[in-house]
Amino acid sequence: MIKWRWLWAILLGIGGLVGNFGIAFADYPTRPITMVVPFPPGGVADLTARPLAAALEPILKQPVAVVNKSGAGGAVGMQFVAVAKPDGYTLLLALSSISVMPEVDKLFGRPQTYKREDFVPIALLNADPTVLAIRKEAPWKSVADFVADAKKRPGEIKYSSSGMYGTLHVAMEMFAHAAGIKLRHIPTQGGGPALTALLGGHVDAFAVGPSVIASQLKAGTVRVLACWGAKRLASMPDIPTFIELGYKDVEFYIWAGLFAPKATPPEIVKILREATKKAAHSAEFKNAMDKLNTPIYYLDGPDFQKFWDEDAARLARAIRNIGKVE
Amino acid sequence: MTETFQNLWLGFATALTPANLFYALMGCLIGTMVGVLPGVGPLAGISLLLPTTFGLDPTGGLILLCGVYYGAMYGGSTTSILMRIPGEAASVMTCIDGYAMAQKGRAGPALFISAFGSYIAGTLSVIGLMFLAPPLARFALGFGPPEYFSLLAMGLIVLGYMTGGSMVKNLAMIALGLLCGMIGIDHMSGYFRFSYGVAALGDGIGVVPVAVGLFGIAEILSTAGQEKRPEVIKPKLRDLLPSREEFRDALKPIGRGTILGFFIGIIPGSAHIISTFVSYAVERRLSKHPEKFGRGAIEGVAAPESANNAASEGALVPMLALGVPTGPIPAVLLAALMVHGINPGPLFIKEQPVIFWGLIASMYIGNFVLLLLNLPLVGLFVNFLRIPYKILYPMILMFCMVGVYAVNTSYVDVAIMSVMGMLGYLLRKFDYETAPIVLGVVIAPIIEMSFRQALAMSGGKYSIFIQRPISALFLAGAFLMIILALRPLIKKGIDWGWRSQLTKAEKGD
Repeated sequence: MIKWRWLWAILLGIGGLVGNFGIAFADYPTRPITMVVPFPPGGVADLTARPLAAALEPILKQPVAVVNKSGAGGAVGMQFVAVAKPDGYTLLLALSSISVMPEVDKLFGRPQTYKREDFVPIALLNADPTVLAIRKEAPWKSVADFVADAKKRPGEIKYSSSGMYGTLHVAMEMFAHAAGIKLRHIPTQGGGPALTALLGGHVDAFAVGPSVIASQLKAGTVRVLACWGAKRLASMPDIPTFIELGYKDVEFYIWAGLFAPKATPPEIVKILREATKKAAHSAEFKNAMDKLNTPIYYLDGPDFQKFWDEDAARLARAIRNIGKVE
Repeated sequence: MTETFQNLWLGFATALTPANLFYALMGCLIGTMVGVLPGVGPLAGISLLLPTTFGLDPTGGLILLCGVYYGAMYGGSTTSILMRIPGEAASVMTCIDGYAMAQKGRAGPALFISAFGSYIAGTLSVIGLMFLAPPLARFALGFGPPEYFSLLAMGLIVLGYMTGGSMVKNLAMIALGLLCGMIGIDHMSGYFRFSYGVAALGDGIGVVPVAVGLFGIAEILSTAGQEKRPEVIKPKLRDLLPSREEFRDALKPIGRGTILGFFIGIIPGSAHIISTFVSYAVERRLSKHPEKFGRGAIEGVAAPESANNAASEGALVPMLALGVPTGPIPAVLLAALMVHGINPGPLFIKEQPVIFWGLIASMYIGNFVLLLLNLPLVGLFVNFLRIPYKILYPMILMFCMVGVYAVNTSYVDVAIMSVMGMLGYLLRKFDYETAPIVLGVVIAPIIEMSFRQALAMSGGKYSIFIQRPISALFLAGAFLMIILALRPLIKKGIDWGWRSQLTKAEKGD
C-alpha cells in the first residue's frame, strides 16, 4: 500500500513538471539562453555578442551563454540555429554575411544550407560602412584617379579580400560594377590576411571596416579614399562617400544583428526585442562598443527586417554580377 | 641600446607587480595543462580563456593569454614522449624519437631535453623579439604568396629525408595528406570540394583531429591489439637526467631549432607546425648517424621542441610590431587588446610601452617558471608509465575525444579523429609512417592557395616565382636539394664510366 502511495506521488510530480513545460513561454525565460556566434572568438561578431549577452542577463534574469560555432564562413553556426528548436533559448548573432550564403548557393544551383527566411530578426546592433583603403605609396589621390587608372589598365589593379564572395569581396565588386572598371581579385582566408597582403605591398587596395584600419591610418601606413556609407563616418569626416561621388547604390555595411529561428512564438520574440532594446541602450554595452571603435546602430525587429531586406537585395545584385568563377 | 634596457626595466617593473606575476604564472600553468591534454591545443586554450580576460586590465590579460600560448609548447611534448600521443599539433615530430627513447627507458632524458630546449629557445626568441621586432616584421610582410609557395615547395622536398623507412611509402603518405588537405571550400572560387553536403567539412579537415587520430587513437588501438603487452622499461630515478653524451648531442640541434623556428615563426601562417618538420629534417640531414633517427635520437626531440617554442614567439613579431593578425592565435590576442579600446597598429610599441615591455619581461619570467615547473614534473610524468594500460588508456581516449570536441564543439571533428585513428592503425600495421600525412594536411591548403594567389597576382605568368628574389632563392634551394639527392646516382654513373675504362684497360693489357 505504501509503495502505491509513493508511485502516485512520483506520477503526480512528473505530471506537474510536464504541466510546467507546457506553459513554459508564459514566463519565458526559465532557463539559460544560448547565443550562437558562427565565428571564432575574437572576431567582430564575438566581440559584439559578449557585451550584449552580459547586458541581457540582468534584464532577462537568466544567464546568456555565448557559444562559438564557427566553420565554413559562418555557415555551420547559422545552419545550426536555422534548425534549432524555436523556443527562444537558441539565438544567433550574425553579421551581414548571413545574406550571402543563400545567394551563393542559388548561384551554384546547390541545395541551400539555410534560407534568410529561416530567421526572425530581433535587433540590429551596429552597422559600419566599409572604407576603401590603399597603400600609402599608391599614386591615387582620389577615387577619380583610381577609376581613371583602372580604366587605363583594366584588370591590373589588385585588391585583396576576406575570401571569395566574402563581405570585402562583395563590397569591392559593387563599386567596380558601378564605376565600370575591372579589378584583379586576390582572395585570402580572412580579414587579417587581407590586411597583411595590402601592408606587404602584394595588392594595391582593399575594402575594410573603419575600426580595423584606424590604427594603420593613424600610423600613416595606409590611406583611405572613400566610404561605402549613406553618410560620412563620424570618425573620418574628410572621407567622401561613394554616393556623394556619384556612384549610385554603392552602399555596403558590415553589420551585426540578433536573430531567432523563424518559428519562435511571437510572445517570446516580443520579450526578446524589448530586452535587447534595453540592453543595447545600456551604459555597459555602449562602453564596450566605444572601446571597439564601433558606434551602436540600433534598429528594432520590424525596422531591422526592412533594413535587412534592402541590404540583402543589394548584396544579391552584386553577387549575381560577380557570377561564378570558372 | 640604453633605451631598450630602460624600457626593459619598465617592463620588469610592470611584470613583477603581484597581479601580473600571478597572471604569468597562471598562464604558464594553464598552458602546460592545455599542452599536456591531447586535442586541446594553444588556440583552443586561449579562445576559451579570452572572455575571462575581459575583466582584467589589458596588460594582465595579454600576459595571461601569451603564457597559455607558449606554455602549451612546453606541455605538448609530454604525452608525445610518454605515449606517442601529440599533446598538440606542433608536437607530432616529437612523437617519433621521443617515444622511441621512452621505450628504451630514456623517457626522463627526453622530457628533460625537451623542457631545456624549450627554455633556451623561448628565452633567445624573446631577445630576438625585443631587439628585432620592427625590422623583422617588415621583412615578414614582404613574404607574399609566391614566397610561400616556393618555401613550401622546398619544404616538401626536404621531407624526402624526413623519416626513416621507405622513401616511396613516405611520398605516398605525403600525397595522401595533401589529398585530405584539399577537402573544403575552395577559397579561390567558392566551390565546396569533397564535402558531400556537410557544412562542417567546408573548412576542411582540421590538423588537430588528424594528428590526435593518427597518433593517439592509433597507438591505443595497436596496443590493445597486441597479444602480449609491450614491456616498457620502467625508468630508475638516476635515469631521469640526460647523460653527458646526450646533452652534448642535443646542444647544437637546440640552437639550430631555435633559429629556424624563430624565422619560420615570423612568416605568417601555421608556421609552428611546419617549423618542427623542417628542423627535424635538417637535423636528420646534418646528422652523422641519420639511421638513428626514428629509433630514439635525442636530436629528434631537441630540434623540433626548440623550434616550436621559438616559432610560437616569432609569430608574435608581426602582431606586436605592426598590429597585423597573421594567424588565428595572434588574432585572438589582438582581440584581447581591442576589447580594452587598444587597437594595436604600427605605433603599438611606442604608444603602449607598458603593455609591450611588460609582456616581454613576463615572457622572460614565464619561460624560467616553465623550466622550473617542467623539470620536477619530469619525475612525476615518467611515473605515468607505471599506471596499468587498462586504466590509463581509456582515460586518454576520453581526453582525446573531449579535447577534439571542445576545439570547435563539433561532432564531425570527433568522427574525423575516429576514422583517422583506424586508418592510422592499419597504416602502422603495414609499416607506413603517419607523420607525413599530418604535414600534408597542414601544407595542402597553404601551398595550393599561395600558388593560385601568386598566379592571380601575375595574371597567370609562372615567371613570378623566379622574378621575386626570395622566392627564387627558395626554388634554387629546392633544386640544389634534388641534385644532392641525386648525387649518389650521378657519382655511381661516373664510377661506372671509370670502371668500364679500367676494365677496358685491363683487357687491353
